[in-house]
Amino acid sequence: MSGFIECIGVGKTFEGKGGEGKTGRVEALRGINMRCAEGEFVCLLGRSGCGKSTLLQMIAGLERPTAGQIVVAGRELDGPSPSTSIVFQDHGLFPWMTVRAYVEFNLKARGVARVARRTRAEETLTMTSLSEFAGRYPHELSGGMRQRVGIARALTTRPQALLMDEPFGALDAQTRGHLQSELLSIWAVQRTTVLFVTHSIDEAMFLADRILVFTPRPGRLAADVTVALPRPRSPGTPAFAAVADGLRAALGSEGVAA
Amino acid sequence: MPRHAGRLLGLLPILGLIGLWQIAVSAKLYPPVLLPSPAKVAGAFLQWGPMISANAGASVLRVLIGVSLAFAVAVPAGLLIGRYRGLDRLTDWSIQAFRSVPPISLIPLAMLFFGIGDTPAIVLIFVSALWPLLLNTIFGVGGIERTLLKVAASARASELLILRDIILPAALPSIFTGLRLAIGGGWLTVVTAEMIAVKSGLGYMILNAQMTFRTELIFAGIVVIGAIGLLADQSVRQLRARACRWQDGLTSSHG
Ligand SMILES: Nc1ncnc2c1ncn2[C@@H]1O[C@H](COP(=O)(O)OP(=O)(O)O)[C@@H](O)[C@H]1O
Ligand SMILES: [Mg+2]
Repeated sequence: MSGFIECIGVGKTFEGKGGEGKTGRVEALRGINMRCAEGEFVCLLGRSGCGKSTLLQMIAGLERPTAGQIVVAGRELDGPSPSTSIVFQDHGLFPWMTVRAYVEFNLKARGVARVARRTRAEETLTMTSLSEFAGRYPHELSGGMRQRVGIARALTTRPQALLMDEPFGALDAQTRGHLQSELLSIWAVQRTTVLFVTHSIDEAMFLADRILVFTPRPGRLAADVTVALPRPRSPGTPAFAAVADGLRAALGSEGVAA
Repeated sequence: MPRHAGRLLGLLPILGLIGLWQIAVSAKLYPPVLLPSPAKVAGAFLQWGPMISANAGASVLRVLIGVSLAFAVAVPAGLLIGRYRGLDRLTDWSIQAFRSVPPISLIPLAMLFFGIGDTPAIVLIFVSALWPLLLNTIFGVGGIERTLLKVAASARASELLILRDIILPAALPSIFTGLRLAIGGGWLTVVTAEMIAVKSGLGYMILNAQMTFRTELIFAGIVVIGAIGLLADQSVRQLRARACRWQDGLTSSHG
């Protein structure tokens, strides 16, 4: 089976900006081979600096790989694909747009007519429990609400794959827990492919069908772990602990905060 | 303290100044021909009211036209220069060089090219309003959060949509800062230009009053200039608060 998202020998080297002294080249990723099947929930796990964001942004078409190729929905990537949507850790809300206008933005960018846009946005707002906040501006929302809006914006185009870069990383534990559960229920209904970046073993364990473990300098794929536990998962069980131990080992000696 | 009472505090220095002025008059610091009393200046408003308003109107109109033209040129240009690095490279040195030229120093040239009248005055206001608007627009675009542009790119938004829905609103607070500076600069320029290149307006009125020894009219002119300057600045602030309502809570309340 060929993957919905496929990376073949993908590498990325940042050429240090010339000028002020440092001519540092950074090899952020080397030789990444991975595939992600349709409907699969895959977590990219690794500590900070191992190239997870870089890989996700390349799959989103926002950066170009300097080696290898990326295939999304059967086509080699050449800029952002209409079949994917990305969610950022700092949510990227436009401070001047109400929640409704923001959630409509991706549709507007596609030239969807106003009425159709409105209808589709209402659906998404309902699905993400945001209806009553539709007229609010970002500064009137809590951190958790803002990220919910970021996700809603990504969902309005009904993408086949949702790319998420530590979307809950800046939230308090309780809000994060809520949003993780909500994301799983949205995923269960929509059956979108999800590629989810995290540095938390527990978060990856709670969410993923499969966890790709990255190690740094240069960023490489160190392990590919399938999590066969039934959902919802709780950290207490021995099976959970066993998988988590495996991940901890794969992350390497320096370890990662759970 | 209630909000409005707090604002009225701003009148205190002005009242104090009028007090000192009256003291100076009573102490006969200068002969009354040179330093008229506040009451005499107030009288000048009654005596020459329509003439003062006509001149004030002429000055205001020139500033409105000059600043509007500058706005129409500088804001689109600034958005593009801020957005495209190549344009920035192309224009950066020129902008830095030209903005260092005081608009006043262009009066002689403006008169040679455009004669005496509204045109040279408006051109000078245009020039003095152009740079603050342009630089602040460019600066506003530069300060945009990178994630917002990534959101737009990943949505495959057109350049036009990006400029209109993201770059422009992101730069708006900074554009308003530019507008305040532009109106301030335009107002300074109009009064100066009118002393030399036009035969109407507050600048002309003041110079004329000096030549006919009507000092109270000079003072009245200065009061009007200050009052209109204050009013214009307050209006732009109001406009900004309205247009950038979404900024509430992102920035400190006084600005
Ligand atoms: N635009 C860039 N220019 C230069 N180096 C970069 C850039 N983006 C990321 N890097 C470098 O690439 C490496 C991987 O970064 P990143 O993908 O953000 O890691 P992660 O998301 O896993 O924390 C880091 O060493 C980072 O400094
Ligand atoms: Mg990252």
